[in-house]
Amino acid sequence: MNGHPLLEARHVTVRFDGLVAVDAVSAAFAAGELVGIIGPNGAGKTTFFNALSGVQPPTSGELYAMGQRLTGSKPHKYAGLGIARTFQTPRVFGALSVAANVDFGLQFAGRHRAGAWLLKDEDSILHVVGLAGQRDLPAAAITPSQQRQLEIGMALATRPKLLLLDEVAAGLTEAEVDSMAQLIRRLRDELDLTVIWIEHAVTTLLKYVERVIVLHQGRKIADGLPAEVVRNAEVIEAYLGDEMVEMA
Amino acid sequence: MRHITSTDPWHVRLREALFGWVLDSRGLGRDAWVLFALTGWALAMPHYGSDFAVSLTLTCLMYVALATSWTLFCGSTRYLSLATSAFFGIGAYTGALLIDQFTWASVIGLGAAVAALVAVVMGSAVLHLRGTYFAVLTFGMTELIRHAVTYWEKQVTGTVGRVLTETPERDTVYLTVLGLAVLAVAVSMIVRRTRFGLALAGIGADEQRAMTLGVNTRLVKIAGFALTAAFAGAVGAAMSVRWTYIDPATVFNPFIGFQTVLIALIGGIATLWGPLIAAIVFSVLAETLRLQAPQAYLMALGLLLILCVLYLPGGLASLRWASFIAWRDDVRGWWREREAKAKRAARREREARYGVGS
Repeated sequence: MNGHPLLEARHVTVRFDGLVAVDAVSAAFAAGELVGIIGPNGAGKTTFFNALSGVQPPTSGELYAMGQRLTGSKPHKYAGLGIARTFQTPRVFGALSVAANVDFGLQFAGRHRAGAWLLKDEDSILHVVGLAGQRDLPAAAITPSQQRQLEIGMALATRPKLLLLDEVAAGLTEAEVDSMAQLIRRLRDELDLTVIWIEHAVTTLLKYVERVIVLHQGRKIADGLPAEVVRNAEVIEAYLGDEMVEMA
Repeated sequence: MRHITSTDPWHVRLREALFGWVLDSRGLGRDAWVLFALTGWALAMPHYGSDFAVSLTLTCLMYVALATSWTLFCGSTRYLSLATSAFFGIGAYTGALLIDQFTWASVIGLGAAVAALVAVVMGSAVLHLRGTYFAVLTFGMTELIRHAVTYWEKQVTGTVGRVLTETPERDTVYLTVLGLAVLAVAVSMIVRRTRFGLALAGIGADEQRAMTLGVNTRLVKIAGFALTAAFAGAVGAAMSVRWTYIDPATVFNPFIGFQTVLIALIGGIATLWGPLIAAIVFSVLAETLRLQAPQAYLMALGLLLILCVLYLPGGLASLRWASFIAWRDDVRGWWREREAKAKRAARREREARYGVGS
């Protein structure tokens, strides 16, 4: 690691025509961290993720992974360096079986990295994300929340160092969200992963993450421990409202 | 996927070394046998067939090679390329220019190499585009190349076309095109079972998702496009000698590209055998109808395409006994509905005339 953060964004700006979706956001993520990103609708969370995974090249600013400059590289470069992501709307290969979807990642980005025991092959990955029973079904035939689980499985198949999760708990019941959070914690602990997790359900997220970044209108307005962030006056005004303060 | 280590028995390691790149060998044996049998039949053909039959089979083999190699890249990635005639023409011209100085095998190889080289350049420029833009640009580039060659002939060499004086025998051409067709099917059969084929399929399904899973899509696309072009170039080089006189209008004929796409679409772009089946149907139609009734031939082709798009989106190769049963049930359902509707209308009329309930 030689002292470099696993992933670092320096003044990343993404502009679409007139709209500034992400406005000079800087953030660094160290190995083993579990970081949450929250923000109201349209705050630029997903666009920031797209920039962090190479899907959307930033208009300006720099991206570094383990000290290596990645600005402008294609997503396969990011995947090759161990940065994996899921998509908010599942983008699984519908015609392929669930197992083949996981195998895809193993064949490409995950191919030359030694897999931890948990990520040994497609069956062990399916077991981890809880889809062992759906192994041979076409990915188009499983439920949307199972497709979200499969998204995580596909990302894990690249045997990543860093996992970017985009609203993986959306549409889940309270109990399911809890088990999802347990899974994410477990992955972080057992695989030594860094996890960056976007979620709309703020209360849940704040319970599980160790650090939280708040985006508002494309700008980063807070970055710190969950307990501190919910007392931040700007955050309360922008987003959280009084109920959060009471909760904290 | 299981990792092989040095502690495994030697035969496991040997099998991995030899066939490790084959991801899924299911059905490979069956496909190989079908190909083997067809090759045997085509090899025997010139010994007993009439000149007409041999010429028909040659056309057929040419389109098998063109459409199968087109499907290999364009079918799996859904990049609709209309540049087949460009690569065919480049191969033909390369062949015509070099045939006096080189051996037959190296002429074919050079035709393939030059076409593949042009495909790499062309692909680097246009493969980031998708859909209609890609299709239109590949067509535009084909026209550009055709006119460039015409211009070069007029201005630089002062010729219109080339006369080929030394042409190999009919059987040499036949065997070469047969070899290319078999190679196209064999390569297609193998590629769809490798990581390269998986990457192509991933690009077809969701290119950006494939990228985020580690596929260098740009490299894969250029390699696939060049592979397709190499086949078209080799076929062009082999077929050019059949004409004895070639000019840009003949060998860069855009119809060659359109026909290749039509055959692939009619046969089924996602299938291995579809283009071969459609190439046979198409060549028989072409050779039997073209002379007697050229309009009827084109109409039959158009009708076949419309029917395939509407009722058989997977192409001829997806045709099963169940498809016929489903069509029969559709027609039956439509007919029943029609009768029921007529009955309802009659009843309404009766009620209107004599009052409700009478």
